[in-house]
Amino acid sequence: MLLRIDGLHKHFGANHVLKGIDLRIDEGQVVAIIGRSGSGKSTLLRSINGLETFDDGLIEVDGERLYAGQTDLRALRQKVGMVFQQFNLFPHLSAGQNVMLAPQVVKKTPVAECETIARAMLAKVGLAEKFDAYPDQLSGGQQQRVAIARALAMQPKVLLCDEITSALDPELVNEVLAVVKQLASEGMTLIMVTHEMRFAREVGDKLVFMYQGRVHESGHPKDLFASPQTPELQNFIGAIN
Amino acid sequence: MNEFSTWDILRNLGFGALWTIGLSLTAFVLGGSAGLLLLTARMSKKVWLQRAARAYIEFFQGTPLLMQLFMVFFGIALLGVDVPPWLAAALGLTLFSSAYLAEIWRGCVEAIPKGQWEASASLAMTWLEQMRHVILPQALRIAVAPTVGFSVQIVKGTAVTSIIGFAELTKTGSMLANATFQPFMVFGFVALGYFILCYPLSHFAAHLERKFHAPAH
Amino acid sequence: MAYSFDFTAVAQYHTQLAVGVGYTLMLTALGAVLGVTLGTLGAVVRAWRIRPFAQLFGLYVELIRNTPFIVQLFFIFFGLPALGLRLGEWQAAIIAVVINLGAYSTEIIRAGIQAIPRGQIEAAGSLAMTRTQIFRHVVLQPALQKVWPALSSQIVIVMLGTSVCSQIAAEELTFAANFIQSRNFRAFETYIVVALIYLALSVGVRALLNQIGQRFVVKRRPA
Ligand SMILES: Nc1ncnc2c1ncn2[C@@H]1O[C@H](COP(=O)(O)OP(=O)(O)OP(=O)(O)O)[C@@H](O)[C@H]1O
Ligand SMILES: [Mg+2]
Repeated sequence: MLLRIDGLHKHFGANHVLKGIDLRIDEGQVVAIIGRSGSGKSTLLRSINGLETFDDGLIEVDGERLYAGQTDLRALRQKVGMVFQQFNLFPHLSAGQNVMLAPQVVKKTPVAECETIARAMLAKVGLAEKFDAYPDQLSGGQQQRVAIARALAMQPKVLLCDEITSALDPELVNEVLAVVKQLASEGMTLIMVTHEMRFAREVGDKLVFMYQGRVHESGHPKDLFASPQTPELQNFIGAIN
Repeated sequence: MNEFSTWDILRNLGFGALWTIGLSLTAFVLGGSAGLLLLTARMSKKVWLQRAARAYIEFFQGTPLLMQLFMVFFGIALLGVDVPPWLAAALGLTLFSSAYLAEIWRGCVEAIPKGQWEASASLAMTWLEQMRHVILPQALRIAVAPTVGFSVQIVKGTAVTSIIGFAELTKTGSMLANATFQPFMVFGFVALGYFILCYPLSHFAAHLERKFHAPAH
Repeated sequence: MAYSFDFTAVAQYHTQLAVGVGYTLMLTALGAVLGVTLGTLGAVVRAWRIRPFAQLFGLYVELIRNTPFIVQLFFIFFGLPALGLRLGEWQAAIIAVVINLGAYSTEIIRAGIQAIPRGQIEAAGSLAMTRTQIFRHVVLQPALQKVWPALSSQIVIVMLGTSVCSQIAAEELTFAANFIQSRNFRAFETYIVVALIYLALSVGVRALLNQIGQRFVVKRRPA
C-alpha cells in the first residue's frame, strides 16, 4: 500500500468540508475521484501534499506520515507531485528551466544532470523541442504537459491531478489525456479529480465518488458505472450522460 | 550691494544639487536594503515580526518626514553625540524610504498569483527557495516601475532635510535668497534643479510602467 | 547616559498643541476641497483634450509633481513678493497646498476617467442623456468612486506635508512643536508626542475620508 488516509477531517470556518475520509491506494493504481462541485474533491487532493492543512486524521505516503497541523512538509512533498487546473508554470522561466528548477534547488542535483532529466521529461510528454520556449509561447495543452514534466522531474511516488483538462480548449484535451494514459501504463500511481468519465472508465483502476465531504461509494470504475449502489451516484452518472 | 552674479548663484546651487543627489542615492540604497529586510519581516510567518514591521511602516507612513528627521536628530543628540546634519538626514530618509519601499514591494509580491506559491510548494521548495526562485524574480519585474517612481519622492524628500540644516539644494537656495535679495530667481532656479533631477525619473517610471505590461520574460 | 524622559513637559502645552491640530486640519480640509475641485477641472480638461488648457494643465502637473512641496511654498511665500504679490503665511500655505494637491488629483482623477469604458458613454448617449448628464453620472461619478482610495491617500500625504509650513511661520502643528521645544528644552519628547498626534490625525482623516467616500461618492450600500 502506497497511500493511506485515515479519518481525515477538514473545516473551512464553520463549513465541515471533509467529514472523515478513509482511503487506501496501492502502488501503480490509477484512481479517479468524481463528485459534484463543492463535494470536497480538491480539498482532499490538496491535503495530500499539504497545500491545505487538516483538522484531524492521518495521511501516510510511502511511509511518510502527515498529521493534523504539521508544518514540515518537505519530505512528504518530495514523494507527492501535483498538477493544477491552471498549469501554474513559472512564467519567467523557459519550459526547460521550469522542469529543472526543483531538482536543482530542492534536491541539489548538479545542473548538467538536471538538464538531462529535464530533456528526458519533456521528451516523455512529447515536447522535447520546446525546451527553450517560454510558457506564454505555448498552447494550453503544451503548458499542461510541461507542468506534468515538471512534477515528474522530482520522481514522485504519486501524482495528483486536479481537473487538469478543465481549463483547456476541447481540441487540446486529448493530447494531455494521452500523456496521462501513457504514465498510467508505465505504472505511475495517479490520483486524479476529473470530469472525463470515459477516461476514468477506460484508464482507472479505482473510482471514488465523493458526496458532501465523504467517500460515498468506491470500487472498480466498470462496476460502479455499470451498477451504482447509491441513488446519489445514480443521479450523478445520470446527470452527465 | 549685489555681489552675486547669476553665475555665482547657479554655481552654488550646483554644489547644493550635488549634495541632494548624494543624499538621494544614499537614502535609496540604504532604504532599499532596509526595506528588503522589512519586507521579509512583514511577510514572515512569525506574528510578532509581522506586527513589528507593520507598526514600523504605519508609523513612518503616518507621520511627516520632518518629524522623523527631528526625532532622529534630537534622539541621537540625547546619547550625548553631536549629530552632523548629513547623518541625521541620511538616517531619517533611510528610515522613511525603507517603510515606503517595503510596502510597495509587498504589493508586488502579493500581486503574484497564488498558483505560483502552490506550484512551487508542491515541488517541495521551502519558503526561502520559493521567494528566491519563483516569487521575487516575478515581483521584481513589476516592482521596477513603482520603485523608480518612488525615487522621485526620495529626491523631493531630501528638500525637507534643509530644515535640520543640511546644505543641499533647498538650503543653499534659502541662504542665497537671503544673501542676494532675489528670492524669485533663486527659488525659481531651485525648482528648476529639482525638476531636472526628477522629471527624467518620473518619465522613466512611466515608460517602465507601460513596458512591463508586456510578456513576462 | 541616564536620560529621564519627561512627557509632562509636553503635556502642559496642550493648548498650543490643540491650536496646532486645529490649524493643520483646517489647512488640510480647505486644501482638500479646493485642491480636488481644481484637480477635477484639470482632469476633465486633460481627459477631453480641451486646447490649449489640456497642455497647460499637463505642464502644471509635471512641474508640481517633480518639485518638492517646500520649494513650491518658498517660491510662493518668498519669491512672489518680488512680483508685487505679497501673501500672508496662511494665504501662501493654502495656495501652496491647493496647487500641490490640484496637480496630483488631476492625474489621479484623469486615470479614473480614462478607465471608464467607451461603451458606457455610448450606451448613455443612446439613452438620450445630455452631455452634462452623461458626464456627471456616467463619467465623473464612477471615476471618482474608482479613484477615491488613491485620492484619500494623497490627501493624507498632503496633510503630512503641511508640516513644512512651519518654516514660513504658519502656526500649524509643527510650528507648535517647535515653539514648545524651545520653551521646555525637551525636543525629543515633544517631537515624539507630536509625531504620534500626526499619526492619529492620519488614521482619523483616512477613516473620515472613507466614510465620506461611502456616503457621497459610492452612493450605494454595501451588499
Ligand atoms: N480556501 C477556502 N476557503 C473557504 N472555503 C473553501 C476554500 N476552498 C474550498 N472551500 C469550500 O470547501 C468546499 C469544498 O471545496 P472543493 O474545492 O474541495 O470542492 P470540489 O469538489 O473540488 O469542487 P469543484 O468540482 O467545484 O472543484 C466548498 O464548499 C468550498 O466552498
Ligand atoms: Mg475542485
